[in-house]
Amino acid sequence: MKKLFLLIPFFAAALTVRADEALTPLKVEFPPPVLTGTPVPAKLGNLEAPNTKLPPVMVPAGVTNLAKGKKVTSSDPAPVIGDLTLITDGDKESEEGYFVELDRGRQWVQIDLGASAELYAIAVWHYHSQARAYLGMIVQVSDDPEFKKDVKTLFNNDDTNSAGFGVGTSPSYLEKNTGRVIPANKAVARYVRLYSSGNTANELNHYIEVEVFGRPRP
Amino acid sequence: MTPSTQPSSAPGVNRRDFVKAGLLVGGGIMLGAPAFLRAQTPKADALQVAIVGLGVQGRVLLDAMLGIPGLNFRAVCDIWSFSRTYGQNRLGKAGFKVEAYSDIEDMLAKEKNLDAVIIATPDFWHAPHTTLCLKAGINVYCEKMMSNTIEGARSMVHAMKESGKLCQIGHQRRSNPRYRFALDTLIKKARLPGRLTNANAQWNRAVTPDSGWPKNSELSPDVLKKYGFKDMHQFRNWRWFRDLSGGPISDLGAHQLDIFNWYFQTSPKSVMASGGADYYKGREWYDNVMAIFEYETPEGNVRAFYQVLTTTSAGGGYFEQFMGDEGSVKISENPSISKVYREDRAPDWEKWVDLNYIKKSAAAAAPPAAGKVDVRETAPLVAYEIPIVLDKPLHQPHLENFFSAVRGQGTLNCDAAHAFISEAAIFQVNPAVASRSTYDFKPSDFVA
Repeated sequence: MKKLFLLIPFFAAALTVRADEALTPLKVEFPPPVLTGTPVPAKLGNLEAPNTKLPPVMVPAGVTNLAKGKKVTSSDPAPVIGDLTLITDGDKESEEGYFVELDRGRQWVQIDLGASAELYAIAVWHYHSQARAYLGMIVQVSDDPEFKKDVKTLFNNDDTNSAGFGVGTSPSYLEKNTGRVIPANKAVARYVRLYSSGNTANELNHYIEVEVFGRPRP
Repeated sequence: MTPSTQPSSAPGVNRRDFVKAGLLVGGGIMLGAPAFLRAQTPKADALQVAIVGLGVQGRVLLDAMLGIPGLNFRAVCDIWSFSRTYGQNRLGKAGFKVEAYSDIEDMLAKEKNLDAVIIATPDFWHAPHTTLCLKAGINVYCEKMMSNTIEGARSMVHAMKESGKLCQIGHQRRSNPRYRFALDTLIKKARLPGRLTNANAQWNRAVTPDSGWPKNSELSPDVLKKYGFKDMHQFRNWRWFRDLSGGPISDLGAHQLDIFNWYFQTSPKSVMASGGADYYKGREWYDNVMAIFEYETPEGNVRAFYQVLTTTSAGGGYFEQFMGDEGSVKISENPSISKVYREDRAPDWEKWVDLNYIKKSAAAAAPPAAGKVDVRETAPLVAYEIPIVLDKPLHQPHLENFFSAVRGQGTLNCDAAHAFISEAAIFQVNPAVASRSTYDFKPSDFVA
């Protein structure tokens, strides 16, 4: 309760200051589309129809990609190929040398934004040179680097609850150059963690880039 | 070593099992247990395996092999450190400590007692690499096309026969249970298409940019020259260069033209073709090819059309369709594209449904609304599903067939001798495009 009393005035002030801000659609830069190789058949119960148009994420002025160049850690610290710095290097090409490949099974990557921030969207590109869907994809934010408390789940397509975070209702989707822009709903957090459990083409986990759009806390 | 003509769908699994599996999951691909859970720790009698070429296709094969028990990976070989590192790390995470080599001759000199080598190098290296391994007494699984030249393909057949070793060519559809079921059961046994008159196949793929490479991982000019590449661009895009590959008709078309020859159980009499390097700048090979093959079968003449387009994905992707006077079988590695269509004049197919040979399609076309029928139109054909499910990576059954044969537990589904007979026809498509004339095959074309 003590913490609650301390926090309420702070958030109330913040909301008062920012309530009438003008919002514009978030502009995300997409790499050129590249689809090569033999497509692998995929049949998932929660697969979103290809080319489903998603509503834009509305953001106020001052929102930028806070993840650029930030430190990334992972459940697999020794990737098969590539290194974790590729995830926040700002390059979204799908070519060899631009993605990191993590081991099989459930793996996560975590970005430390350096400070708690007001988050509006997480954009993720796993691997977009082949039409494939990543399984057990869960995106969480927290101020706890261990993700043991105050965890907010922004996306969860783990429809069998294999990860134990609850049955996910978010859709699986086919990867393409537009990645996935996930609304963060003004969550306040310093750390972003993304899980996946392989994909429909193989059992490995990949990341080309993750962008975290937000602004410093007021 | 002759291709299996057994009616079974794949080694160790009979047709009834596949039918049952298909019905259980409703005709879609079944996402089974992860391969790394299915794989087993190598035993004392494990086959000793090396992989040569860890590019895109080599990695696909590697993934598929990790689901096969009883293999012990010993070495990877690739001239590019980027790919070598990939193979070594990937296998390392799967529990295999492997040596990495940049040169195949060095690998063969140092790695003794290999049972099998998997070759997924660029086409123009297939024949030299396969021959080296066979002569060293090692069984080979080599990706298709066998070679960029018919002489190279012939040399592989000769090396296989002279060595007495096995040489499987990577026409993986020949081990796909759905393809085997469609041929053995739907076409040969149930004769659903009736008298086969035509075939149509295609691989249409959207525009793709040239492949690049990480700038900190360039091969030196000396290494590139030693292994036959002009520069790094050519190394990464070898499929488009005339001295290194046969282009899309060879790269993509080989899979599907092989199905024509396999399903018709004969070689074509002639081919006419058109194509061109029309769209991409700097790519030597034809980026679109359309070809017509003529076959003489015991039932009569069959004409088969094939197109490979690399600038559009329109037209339904990639499939092969075998059409007869009573029905047609449309088949693809993508189960959602695979269908069987019944002509109105065909005998009743209910008994085949009762036998689980086919399954009524849930996505049958809805009848047109009253008053909307144009009597000039032919009614859409009734579609049926092929109730066969492959719950493994697409290449795994073909690799399983290879390793079973290496263990003496079966015969190869596509050895080099039989692959040559099929590929001999493919080698004539590009010359037919160039000459703008019909090529009539000679019996000697199919003799290795």
